[in-house]
Amino acid sequence: MYPFQFRKLLTVYTIFYCCVVYCQDMLIEAESFDNPGGWVIDPQFEQQMGSPYLLAHGMGQPVKNAETKIKFNTSGVYHVWVRTKNWVPGNWEAPGRFQLKIDGVVVGKPLGLRSGWGWEYVDGISVTAKEIDLELVDLTGFNGRVDAVYFSTVKEEPPASRKKLVEWRKTIKAEPNAPPLTKSYDLIVVGGGIAGCAASIAAAEQGLNVALIHDRPVLGGNASEEIRVHTLGIYGNFERILKKLDTEHYPNGSADAKLDQKKRDDNVKSYDNIALFLNHRAYDAKAEGNTIQYVDARHTSTGERIRFIAPRFVDSTGDGWVGYWAGAEFSYGRESVTTYGEDWEEHGELWSPKEPDNAVMGSSVLWGSKETDMEHTFPEVPWAMPVAKKYAKVAGEWQWEFSRPDLNQIDDAEEIRDHMLRAIYGSFYNAKQDSTNTNRKLEWVSYLVGKRESRRLVGDHIFTFKDAKEGRKFPDGVVIETRDVDIHYQTVLESEENPDFISEALFYKTPEYYIPYRSLYSRNISNLFMAGRNFSCSHAGLGGPRVMRTTGQMGAAVGLAAALCKKYNVGPREIYTGYLNEYLALIEEQKFEKIPETKR
Amino acid sequence: MKFLSAILFVFTLFLTNGESEFRESFSTETYNDILDKAPEYYLLEWKAGTKLSKRKAGLFIKIDSFDDQEVVVMVNENEDPVLYASDISTPVCADGECKLMHIRLYWTLLGEYAGFDTYPKLPLTKHDHDEFRKEDYEKLHKLLADDKSILKRRRLDELVEEPVMRNVNGVDALSGATVAEVKESVVSGALYSCYVAWHLTHGTIRDEIKTHTLSALNANMLIDMLYSTNTDYQLLALEKMDSSQFIEHHLQIVQIFKTAVPLVRSIIAKDLPNRFLDSPELQRPFWEAFSEIDIGSRSLLLKHLESAPSFVSDIISTQLGSMTKNQIIVFLEFLSPKKHSPKLLENLHSFADSENEAYSYLVENYLEEHGQ
Repeated sequence: MYPFQFRKLLTVYTIFYCCVVYCQDMLIEAESFDNPGGWVIDPQFEQQMGSPYLLAHGMGQPVKNAETKIKFNTSGVYHVWVRTKNWVPGNWEAPGRFQLKIDGVVVGKPLGLRSGWGWEYVDGISVTAKEIDLELVDLTGFNGRVDAVYFSTVKEEPPASRKKLVEWRKTIKAEPNAPPLTKSYDLIVVGGGIAGCAASIAAAEQGLNVALIHDRPVLGGNASEEIRVHTLGIYGNFERILKKLDTEHYPNGSADAKLDQKKRDDNVKSYDNIALFLNHRAYDAKAEGNTIQYVDARHTSTGERIRFIAPRFVDSTGDGWVGYWAGAEFSYGRESVTTYGEDWEEHGELWSPKEPDNAVMGSSVLWGSKETDMEHTFPEVPWAMPVAKKYAKVAGEWQWEFSRPDLNQIDDAEEIRDHMLRAIYGSFYNAKQDSTNTNRKLEWVSYLVGKRESRRLVGDHIFTFKDAKEGRKFPDGVVIETRDVDIHYQTVLESEENPDFISEALFYKTPEYYIPYRSLYSRNISNLFMAGRNFSCSHAGLGGPRVMRTTGQMGAAVGLAAALCKKYNVGPREIYTGYLNEYLALIEEQKFEKIPETKR
Repeated sequence: MKFLSAILFVFTLFLTNGESEFRESFSTETYNDILDKAPEYYLLEWKAGTKLSKRKAGLFIKIDSFDDQEVVVMVNENEDPVLYASDISTPVCADGECKLMHIRLYWTLLGEYAGFDTYPKLPLTKHDHDEFRKEDYEKLHKLLADDKSILKRRRLDELVEEPVMRNVNGVDALSGATVAEVKESVVSGALYSCYVAWHLTHGTIRDEIKTHTLSALNANMLIDMLYSTNTDYQLLALEKMDSSQFIEHHLQIVQIFKTAVPLVRSIIAKDLPNRFLDSPELQRPFWEAFSEIDIGSRSLLLKHLESAPSFVSDIISTQLGSMTKNQIIVFLEFLSPKKHSPKLLENLHSFADSENEAYSYLVENYLEEHGQ
């Protein structure tokens, strides 16, 4: 028990706290702390574990404390729980340990020990002050995580199961179903990767009022400085727009990504009619009669919610979330080789299986280290070694990729990211045992999962490997590509001696190929476009056009289509059935910057 | 481009002046028509007493400016094809200098690289004329064994250029994978020899050899493939064998399931119920191997839980410690509407009570929810 003194009352706006039944319970969302210190906000897995959370991503160095002030209305004894998890349970000390400090004093035992997300009891504390200082103290620098801290006068652990927790959170926050704020636009684009940015620019240039919702502080998705994959593919019909967004061909993981980051962000922000909602993660969409009415999004740290209303939506979330929530048809995994005739005999089962399965290309987590002029130590990481084994590396490129039949790239994304972190820390530890790496320092490890493949929403046309291989021409072939179709597989399939986090690519050389506009809108949701890796394709069909200039082309193509939809007040399909010539003419016309009237 | 032009220029010189000289040196040594010991660098198994004879196969590798290089088939005493081989003599040119590379290459029945022999008096040499050392030959062997090598998709000039890098805020950009990968995989100082050898081995001849083999494929060859440790042979045998052969060679297929690479296992796992539809007891050893096989194959097996023989639940319930979280969830979902045997319940309780198992809480919750 720790007594606390009364302190000067301060108004705290940024902490989400709620009082129910005599103000005895209080839920503090970790992502809403006043000052996250060295902890980072991780909203990637909200749909699986329930919330954005704080992550102590210190690459082996404990990060600075996260701090916040909490205001109490009632003095008394409070029981404290933390929602957390041990991200590598096993016969070793948990890697992500941390503690709580209240008013500068450590409370309870080290935390981050339980297997699976849930509540760990910290201690009972006696609160006599109106306001206390709460700190999260990272003990390891190895990815400890905190979702929320809960204070209650009753010693009753909050629910652990996902379903019950959602309801409990709503109750304790006294949160109504509908967000308090509603905003309307001509087009809502969800996901600010290259595809979403291109869709927003293309639509905005045609005069639409666009909202672009993105769950990170910077734009670009996999191309951003946070993930650092370079853009590949050709510009097709959209060179002018895509040059505002793409990257140089730096090595994947390179710090060069920062240069293109500024270019991209500045360019998108230069459009007055793009309302940019950074740090907002969409969490729901509602369709009535196969027409999406709205998308709801929440700020990743403040928790503020907004309902976005529009006649048309673009799903460029990568995971096809908007379509999924709205009930759009989608596919996941590999079709059988005969489904679309996608065989490549040389690589047989690795390319396309006899029987369909859930295998998909994996996710990457890029990283790097650098030589310095002084010695750097790196701690032992026993919890990483079952993954890294004897593999020793000082940097990771695209081959650092993980996919496994028992893991879903969406539902199990956190486990996939964590597996890659173990691979990285373990491999770097092994490399550090070599005396030539004495001065080498871990420089950068992404904590964001760079996904290649997940849900694919189904459109009027499903683009396949066969379409690419044959260079099939379509009257609405608005996206053009020449890049090889390449499909990755885990090398562990060929030998168990190989690490399970390293992939190999199979490249099929194709002629120029085309993706029809009909692959860019949903078959059963009447006002939903899609652009990005969640466009309508087969697993093997995704192999070529999944790269980011190609997905950018898709974005630009749907942005222009959305403009015509508005002009004629029709849905995406009607552009193909009724306005195709005008659409194709518009694509031609936008290739060049319009000369202002004053300069003609 | 300048670099390539130089190569082409010198190569032209070689065509006009140097050919007869090179040929003379090559004719000093040839191999016998009988192969009774394993090639010096060899990927397949070599059974003691094997004696292979050379037969014409009508296959050739085309090398510019040289006669076609014949590829022969090596047959066993039953005249069944076992290997393909070719005595290769090819020019390697770099930086204005050309020389001949002499090597005897071997291919598997399916056109994959199998190994090579060198000519004792005509060793491979590096760019600086140093002879290959043992470790260089080993590295070449490893390179040729990699059918997806980075050499496959790159022109020579792409392999020697450093990627252009920028410098951001004084932080060095990470090195490019391509150049690093090339350095790691080729013999130092012999990029050109490696490049030429790789493309000869993995050129169009691969498909031609495979076609030749398939046209001659017989039951003996298939059985030899099934009992081989070569992944491609195992895959072909599993694909071509019918259900009765599966039952006849059941023990060998179990052995493959335990020892083969995950790709081969996945084929067996996906097809397990169909292959042993009328004799479910034959499935038992596959399920009993659960803890010995890779995670992916385990998941594929678990997909068959609904159609699996009744003994499977008991077997799997003893393997919970080797399962991933999702696999345990799949198993518990499968169990939930069913009646549990005493043995199964005992196994579940034992796992739930374990203090060292990361996912024991899943089983504990399950037992609690189901009042067991």
